[in-house]
Amino acid sequence: MDFHLLSQAFGTVMLNPMNLLFVFVGVTAGIMVGALPGLTATMGCALLIPFTFGLGPVRGLLMLMGIFCGGIYGGSISAILIRIPGTPSAAATLLDGYPLSQKGMGGKAIGMSTVASFLGGTTGAVVMTFLSPEIARVGLRFGPPEFLALAIFGLGMIITISGRSLLKGFISCLFGLLITTIGFDPLSGVPRFTFGSRDLLGGVTFIPALIGLFGYAQVFRNIEKMLILPTVKAKVENILPTLKEIRAVLKTIFKSALMGTFIGSIPGTGCDIAAFVTYGEAKRTSKHPEKFGTGILEGVAAPEAGNNGATGGAMIPMLTLGVPGDAVTAVLLGALTIHGLQPGPLLFRDHLDVIYPIFAGMIMAQVILLTVGLSGARFFARTINIDRKILTPVIFFLCVVGSYAMRFSFFDVGLSMVIGVVAYFMEYYEYPASPILLALILGPMAEQNLRRSLIISHGDPLIFVKRPISAAFIAIALFVIITSYYRIKKAAEKEAQMASVSEKEETD
Amino acid sequence: MKRANMTRADIAVGTGVIILATWVFWYSNGYRGTVIYIYGPNFFPQVLSVLMILCGVALIVRAIRGKALTKKDRIDRKGFVRTVIAIGICIGYLYLMQVIGFAMGTSVFLFVLMTFLGQRGLVKRVISSIATSLLVWAMFRYFLVIPLPTGIFDFTF
Repeated sequence: MDFHLLSQAFGTVMLNPMNLLFVFVGVTAGIMVGALPGLTATMGCALLIPFTFGLGPVRGLLMLMGIFCGGIYGGSISAILIRIPGTPSAAATLLDGYPLSQKGMGGKAIGMSTVASFLGGTTGAVVMTFLSPEIARVGLRFGPPEFLALAIFGLGMIITISGRSLLKGFISCLFGLLITTIGFDPLSGVPRFTFGSRDLLGGVTFIPALIGLFGYAQVFRNIEKMLILPTVKAKVENILPTLKEIRAVLKTIFKSALMGTFIGSIPGTGCDIAAFVTYGEAKRTSKHPEKFGTGILEGVAAPEAGNNGATGGAMIPMLTLGVPGDAVTAVLLGALTIHGLQPGPLLFRDHLDVIYPIFAGMIMAQVILLTVGLSGARFFARTINIDRKILTPVIFFLCVVGSYAMRFSFFDVGLSMVIGVVAYFMEYYEYPASPILLALILGPMAEQNLRRSLIISHGDPLIFVKRPISAAFIAIALFVIITSYYRIKKAAEKEAQMASVSEKEETD
Repeated sequence: MKRANMTRADIAVGTGVIILATWVFWYSNGYRGTVIYIYGPNFFPQVLSVLMILCGVALIVRAIRGKALTKKDRIDRKGFVRTVIAIGICIGYLYLMQVIGFAMGTSVFLFVLMTFLGQRGLVKRVISSIATSLLVWAMFRYFLVIPLPTGIFDFTF
């Protein structure tokens, strides 16, 4: 860690009003996107990447990181007020947030969520700042077998958490990897699966695929459910929690923040898992576990500190090893490459001018999140009331613009829409989209390093287990996949039992 | 009933995956002779296709053995038709945009889609569709300097 560079980076971010403005715009947009049910932080980043094309890499990334942090926090607002988590990571927050809202303490719950998000996010950002350069130093020693093992590890992790079926997660992942083989072969330059189309020579571009998977698919679902979803109204009063209330949950906040950061830093996990694990842990270690779920501030503070801590954690593997921690960081990784930067250990050697402002920006984003969150809570609560019949067409339009803007290509718009239709059906048949996204990122890395390793070893596949780091990554991935298989099997058996009981009751 | 639906879908998807993967394997063979080394452009797609065939077979076997997942959510038929029509409107917009330009085409698209989705307030529809299209157009045109289709109104801006 170079403190001189870090202080310079803080100067760059804080003393330049334009940089601060982009963080502010990102955080505000993120909170709004997060607060609106049906719009996730992933979707927000995907839709807003095109708006960063004209900015430099630092400003573009500052804005996107603002959206990331704001989006994760924003999800808690709708979770607390209307019992619909704005983002999946806020699902744990509603367990105590909504009961608080029913007691007339919705404003206070949002206030506590803001403070916990700030403290959690700051912890995550500080850990990221100090840990990333060290991990990158280790990463510099990685060769092709280690990078392949890392890709397998990342893909394996996301498959295990993406749904009720491991098999369907695998199929999604393989489908995503197959998509990455379209276009020029990275090693030989031979065009593959292009069928004579010039538009496909460069492969399926990341942004249209991303917007298809997370933008169009969601828009199609929103249009389909337009008349089914109930209209909701939300309002807040009394936001600021007292010092006494904050002090009472401070220990929980810091414990959850550190746990969240650690969970977020494991590739493929992300903020949703961090929120549930930290909520469970807070309940387990509480003196009054029976009060959880009835509407207590600790039940809001724990998952919010956890999921915001995970934002910084998820950035660590993305920046240092080029393996995203979750779907949003996969989008950020894509954004980095669009701005001409290749995430991974070399980023810490060749682009310190970008890395340190990212660290500083992440910490600044938390301060802005606290300010904007507390002062604008009433406004953000009102955004939940925006008519869906107006909002959905606008998002539909942003999907069109976003998929067009990368290469000014109507082919990309069409491709993106087709991917959106596929993703729309995939959701209904429980094929998760996140493994496809991660496969799009890690596919080229996996292919190149697999082939390079085999060329180096003269075709001996044992090269992947002979090297300790590579063997360790593969062993952990296998362990997690096997344990997940049994966990999912157990859950499915329980579900089937409950279904048969309810069927029996119906026939009786 | 619900379980049967997912079973059929799993068998259909499994079959589709096997067919796709078999085709990928066969098609990738064509890349074999394009380079001199063994692990050429065909290698990775063929590895993937073998894994996909295994997954496809496993999906079918699980479905036949009655282990398919139960559906948690169903597609609402009327809603689905609404989605298809909305996609049709969007395709029309993509053509319209190239004729009458981005800003005007977008305003028409947003207005039509809001009307189709049941938004009744005329003023709301007009203001939100024009404001959104102009805002994004101005941002792309002047701030991000990204060219957008101008159509026959090329001279306007």
